[in-house]
Amino acid sequence: MMEEKVAISMAGVEQNRPHFKLGPLDLEVPAGYVTALVGPNGSGKSSTFRLLLDLAKPEKGTVTVLGKRVGGGDDVELKRRIGYLPENTNSFEDSLKAEDKAAFVRQWYPDWDVNYYRELLRLFEIDSSLKLGKMSKGMRRKFELALALAHRPELLLLDEPSSGLDPIAWKKMIGVLHRHMERGDRTILIATHIVEEVRRLADYIVFMDYGRVLGMYEKDELLSSWSVLFVQGEGRPEWLLRTVPGAIRTEEAGGSVRIVTSRAQQAERWCESEGYRIVARK
Amino acid sequence: MWLPIHINEQSAEPLYYQIEVQLRALIVSGQLAEGTLLPSIRELAQLLKCSVITVRRVYQDLENEGLLRTRQGTGTFVAKVDRTERDRQRLQAVIAAFEAAIEAGLRVQCSEEELRAVFEEALRLKMGSRDGPDRRRDENDRHLPGEKT
Repeated sequence: MMEEKVAISMAGVEQNRPHFKLGPLDLEVPAGYVTALVGPNGSGKSSTFRLLLDLAKPEKGTVTVLGKRVGGGDDVELKRRIGYLPENTNSFEDSLKAEDKAAFVRQWYPDWDVNYYRELLRLFEIDSSLKLGKMSKGMRRKFELALALAHRPELLLLDEPSSGLDPIAWKKMIGVLHRHMERGDRTILIATHIVEEVRRLADYIVFMDYGRVLGMYEKDELLSSWSVLFVQGEGRPEWLLRTVPGAIRTEEAGGSVRIVTSRAQQAERWCESEGYRIVARK
Repeated sequence: MWLPIHINEQSAEPLYYQIEVQLRALIVSGQLAEGTLLPSIRELAQLLKCSVITVRRVYQDLENEGLLRTRQGTGTFVAKVDRTERDRQRLQAVIAAFEAAIEAGLRVQCSEEELRAVFEEALRLKMGSRDGPDRRRDENDRHLPGEKT
């Protein structure tokens, strides 16, 4: 295996709030890949983004982004290499015209590519003369995405980017993000709970719940290792649950037994060698 | 560039293997000519809705087999495949496909005669439809295996 570079590393990070405890978080996001952060509402995805950007401070642990320790003072250089699309928009920007916000934001980024920015506006059909508060939710989202992308950041942090997007805009976004990754040295961390988004974009999946990382998986390996089998043969469901490799759940299903397994290939091989007939798989 | 690669999500075969078998077939059959520029790793991952990790593995395997070569900065190309190597690879895929077909038959308790009849019939149909109108005529009086003649 080749040596993988790390874009983000969190070690022993903890953050305590009156109603929420985040961590201890240990997470390494590999550089050059799209990593999806998946978890229910309130599982700590947005809080994690805030820690990465030093918008919130952890009580314990260290956060390293693009090789730089976060929270060490002057981080203008580091922030220039990052693009961030927050989950929520700022209502105090409502009376600001989109083009004025863009003019303000671009001052901070020497690498701002005005042609690319214009191209994104055209692609997403954004009228930048509108005030942000007058834009539809979807258009504002697309505009914010264009802003996060225009300086072609090394690290792109997207917090539920597709909320409010129609299917056509969503497809365009997926295409734009793939093109952004084309060079192979950029990294995306994307919080989402849309399965199709994970399928289309992600290389790695990180599961979060209750402020903890449950695990990190290679997407294709994860998706192909789980399967549902319907088998016919001797044996009660309870017995199969204990015997079939990776079996998570088994139940009677009209003359056959339905088996959910996390080790699809081993389970199929087991069925073959033990004389069970697989009548269907999902 | 679009590649005619089909992924069967129900299959127990790993994703990288499914892609690798089909891409290898496209190359050794000559459908992808020598020097053809393949999609980038990210592009193919997007087309097949899989991860770049999987595509990179496929490209690396086929590069090790000498079917692809990667030029830094320009991309991945179909390499020159010599005749004997191509023939070997060509038949390898065919043998594997026959083996899979036989397994499929055994799974539904086919006898050896049945398998043979199915094969003969499939072969006759394919070759018939491929040739001119002469052959096609006798498709009309074709019969299924097991049917009384």
